[in-house]
Amino acid sequence: MTDYGHDLMFGTFVTPIAQPVQHAVQQAVLADRLGLDLVTFQDHPYVSRFHDTWTLIPYAAARTERVRLTANVTNLPLRFPAQLARSVATLDRLTGGRIELGLGAGGFWDAIEAMGGRRLRPGEALTALEEGVQIIRGVWDTSTPGGLTVDGKFHAVRGAKRGPAPAHRPSIWIGGYKPRMLRTIGTIADGWLPSAQNLRGGIEDLARGSEIIDEAAESAGRRPQDVRRLLNLTGDFDDTSRGFLQGPPDQWVEELTDLALTYGTSVFILFSDDPGMTEMFAKEVAPAVRDEVRKARGTTS
Amino acid sequence: MSRQHSPIKLGVELAHDDVAAAVDCAVEAERLGLDLVVVPSTSSGPDGWSLVSWIAGRTDRIGLVAGIDPAQRNLGVLGRASTSLDRLSGGRLTLELHPSPEISPAEALTVLRRMWDTSTRRVRHDGAIKLAGAEPGPLPAHDIRIWMSGDVELAGSTADGWHGRLDDPDQLAQNLQLLRKSAEKADRDPHELERVITLTTWDDVDAMTTLVTEHGVTAFILRIDENSPEGLLERFVQEIAPRLREAGRQAVADGALTPSPVRRAEIRARRVSGIDYDGLPAHLAANAVEPGDALYNSIRSNYLRGGSPGLILRPQSVSDVVDAVAFARRHRHIPLGIRSGGHGVSGRSTNDGGLVIDVGALNDIEVLDRDRRLVRIGPGARWRDVATALQPYGWALGSGDHGGVGVGGLATAGGIGYLSRKHGLTIDHLQSVDMVLADGTTVRAGRSENPELFWAVRGAGANFGIVTSFEFVVDEVSDVGWAQLAFHVSDPEEFLLKFGETVAATPRDTTPFLIMNGSTAHVMAMVASDDPDEILAQLRPIAQIAPLVQQQVVIAPYAAVMNMFPESPHQAFGEPVSRSGLVTSITPGFAAVSARLLDSGAVHWFQLRSMGGAIADVEPDATAFAHRDAAFQITAMGSNAQRVDREWDRLRPYFSGIYTSFEADNSPQRLTEAFPPPTLARLRKLKEQLDPTGLFRDNFPLTDSHSVGSPA
Ligand SMILES: Cc1cc2nc3c(=O)[nH]c(=O)nc-3n(C[C@H](O)[C@H](O)[C@H](O)COP(=O)(O)OP(=O)(O)OC[C@H]3O[C@@H](n4cnc5c(N)ncnc54)[C@H](O)[C@@H]3O)c2cc1C
Repeated sequence: MTDYGHDLMFGTFVTPIAQPVQHAVQQAVLADRLGLDLVTFQDHPYVSRFHDTWTLIPYAAARTERVRLTANVTNLPLRFPAQLARSVATLDRLTGGRIELGLGAGGFWDAIEAMGGRRLRPGEALTALEEGVQIIRGVWDTSTPGGLTVDGKFHAVRGAKRGPAPAHRPSIWIGGYKPRMLRTIGTIADGWLPSAQNLRGGIEDLARGSEIIDEAAESAGRRPQDVRRLLNLTGDFDDTSRGFLQGPPDQWVEELTDLALTYGTSVFILFSDDPGMTEMFAKEVAPAVRDEVRKARGTTS
Repeated sequence: MSRQHSPIKLGVELAHDDVAAAVDCAVEAERLGLDLVVVPSTSSGPDGWSLVSWIAGRTDRIGLVAGIDPAQRNLGVLGRASTSLDRLSGGRLTLELHPSPEISPAEALTVLRRMWDTSTRRVRHDGAIKLAGAEPGPLPAHDIRIWMSGDVELAGSTADGWHGRLDDPDQLAQNLQLLRKSAEKADRDPHELERVITLTTWDDVDAMTTLVTEHGVTAFILRIDENSPEGLLERFVQEIAPRLREAGRQAVADGALTPSPVRRAEIRARRVSGIDYDGLPAHLAANAVEPGDALYNSIRSNYLRGGSPGLILRPQSVSDVVDAVAFARRHRHIPLGIRSGGHGVSGRSTNDGGLVIDVGALNDIEVLDRDRRLVRIGPGARWRDVATALQPYGWALGSGDHGGVGVGGLATAGGIGYLSRKHGLTIDHLQSVDMVLADGTTVRAGRSENPELFWAVRGAGANFGIVTSFEFVVDEVSDVGWAQLAFHVSDPEEFLLKFGETVAATPRDTTPFLIMNGSTAHVMAMVASDDPDEILAQLRPIAQIAPLVQQQVVIAPYAAVMNMFPESPHQAFGEPVSRSGLVTSITPGFAAVSARLLDSGAVHWFQLRSMGGAIADVEPDATAFAHRDAAFQITAMGSNAQRVDREWDRLRPYFSGIYTSFEADNSPQRLTEAFPPPTLARLRKLKEQLDPTGLFRDNFPLTDSHSVGSPA
């Protein structure tokens, strides 16, 4: 039960549907205008109904001013890590530091294989993810002299030229649920990015997961607060309460404040393709949660 | 404008290390009127794809060429990414495959084209690239061309273009010859290929124009980086671009170049005979779609009618429309369809083997005068877009019940919608139209200018030309009451009678549409008021006609109702079987025969649109839409024309006329029902003046079909 003390961020989780063509872009522009911190898009490159996420992000980024963007989460098996690193760094420079990197080990192996990706067992996918992160950080690290060599089992580079360096240090936020994955997150990631709806044991899974992450972080010589706790959420605004995040904004404020103070969640990402819901979240929920958490933490701004 | 088209494209290649400088250069290139920005792929440093996607978001018009190293990406994902970028940028993407030791650009090209081909469900490929059943699609916004750099012979035999450099003129000339030879060896027309040359500087402009006139070079790209001399791009644009463009025009005149690249042989193989594809003016050719094109399947058909036209012209400007009409005059031996939104029923705006002039791109919506609420709307706009654009002003313009319907077809025929009883037909809001007539002249018609044509356009517009813009005075419309009621109907005859009586007594604020279906009836009703008590008061008598099984009443913007149905591609098959009838009241006889028709199972759709109110305030001879006394418009749709007509004919005695827009029967009898004798005589007289040969003939043609021209 920890509050890691991070600044809070609020964002949306947008379906990158290809039709209407500008739908997802409009959601990003809206989030930007409403002052949300983050817009995120699913990345399922095998689905023909969707835009390619790492094409949508640059386009949407070019049409926004201050919101941060990322894939939620990048399908690493279909992206080449060195290429992905260059892409994130290029965009981070273009946006003046507005790009983060949500990453996942991949899940839908039939579909990944259909697109020419390699089918991996869960353990292998995790190793591939670790290698991928090493390559990505290596490409970004232009302060270390010499080429980059990572001799991984699934991803390898030999003497690759480093760079470009991103404008800020993009956070690597990893999605996952199983203990081994959580240990990896604690060891190497900047954040843990689960979806509330996939927590089999309910919200308590956050505490259980964080415990593993904290331990892994400490045994890797890091601090638990080096790993942000993010959360994808689904909800509905309603006049009467019908369950978790299903009710009036006040109820949302209470529940999200509790998540922040009890479970240390500091990034709230709402599934929303609905401008009305996004607006409500940005205007009625986000500022109030910030206030409540600030009060509870006893700091003033 | 179209006379001045040059086949030569001019562009910049961004070789900057600093991505911000590269973006500035791209934006500047667009401002200076260049055609292309090329972003090469490099094995290190900034990522070209991200950069070009960002540039797409920062520019509106300029073509985007993305360099690709096939070994650096998953090619299936690249196929999808290309589609995304092409769609997001409005069809501006070209790919350029760089040589790669690991993966042949030819193999990459094959895989990419297959990822864009939505006529198959899965893509399998087993080579250096492996796909094991990838979903192709979605369809790009246009045919994405694939250029290659490097291997000239490979490009000549497979690609849509070759990109070389100017460094060594002799070597270049040799390469261009080799390109031609390898194209010919592969049984290709060398004009299928674009020939693209990058330069960093120039001294001998004559040598460059010779490349155009003698070697068929089609594009010149100036390579720019941080160290390029100040003002280089402006000088390129001012000093040599005009000469290169002129050389291109000359080369076309001499037959050395085609106005735009020739389509690949496998595409040309699917052309239909009797159409002069190669005689299309360049501007039209650039956006035309023919049967072998990737885009064809997504635009060949309409919302309700399948089609296989031989050529779809997509004019982007009024002068393009003029050229398209001239092209149509040379093709009198094949059908001609005029298409705006593609929702035509009576209007054969798609056809088999003919020509379609699709003005969907003329879709601007512009407020001209806020005080007068005067709005100019292009024919290609959809009514949902009109509603969305007018909403911020607190305005609306009634159309019909479906936001996907196009402005062009509806606003030339009538427009019976949810605001009609309160505010009249759509055509009753028209102030003027701009049109292209059969002989290619452009005219404006309004109350004082060409008043007879203005009269005719409001009900029979499709006979007289192609409307390229409409000016309407729109209404102030607050949020509206919107009701969706479902009734249990035990006696359809009684239900219809009661519905008729109730609507007759309902204030004109309320316009209900009724759909009858076996034992249920659905009423969609709009109340043009945002006062909840008023809305409920006006709806209550309707709600009491029969037991309600479902009801929903909301107060919503008019635009929300128009946006109920999202846009989806038109993929109909076959011919719609749709019939229209107008009645001045619902009589017991009509109700009884209708009940019988519903019972027969011959129709799957039976709908009543309420009329009256403001529609009837207009005199019958004020517009070509003359049936001002109608109380209801009845639509029936079925799948078998004979079965439908067997029942429908029993209803005919009750009709006072028909509304063209829902009538798919094109027998001459229907014409006299659509237009009463004085109206018809007047229309025929005008048709004789303006379109004596009957060029415009896809929708209730006034010229009888026997006199329609002979093969060109
Ligand atoms: C689902 C659906 C719902 C409908 N609901 C209503 C309704 O509630 N009320 C109502 O009044 N109608 C309604 N209609 C009928 C509709 O108004 C007509 O079918 C109309 O012609 C469609 O216009 P469009 O531009 O989409 O069609 P298109 O298929 O593009 O055009 C149809 C015909 O209109 C003519 N035309 C098109 N563009 C031009 C132009 N620029 N200049 C001159 N002539 C042109 C041509 O003859 C063409 O064949 C509905 C139709 C459908 C399919």
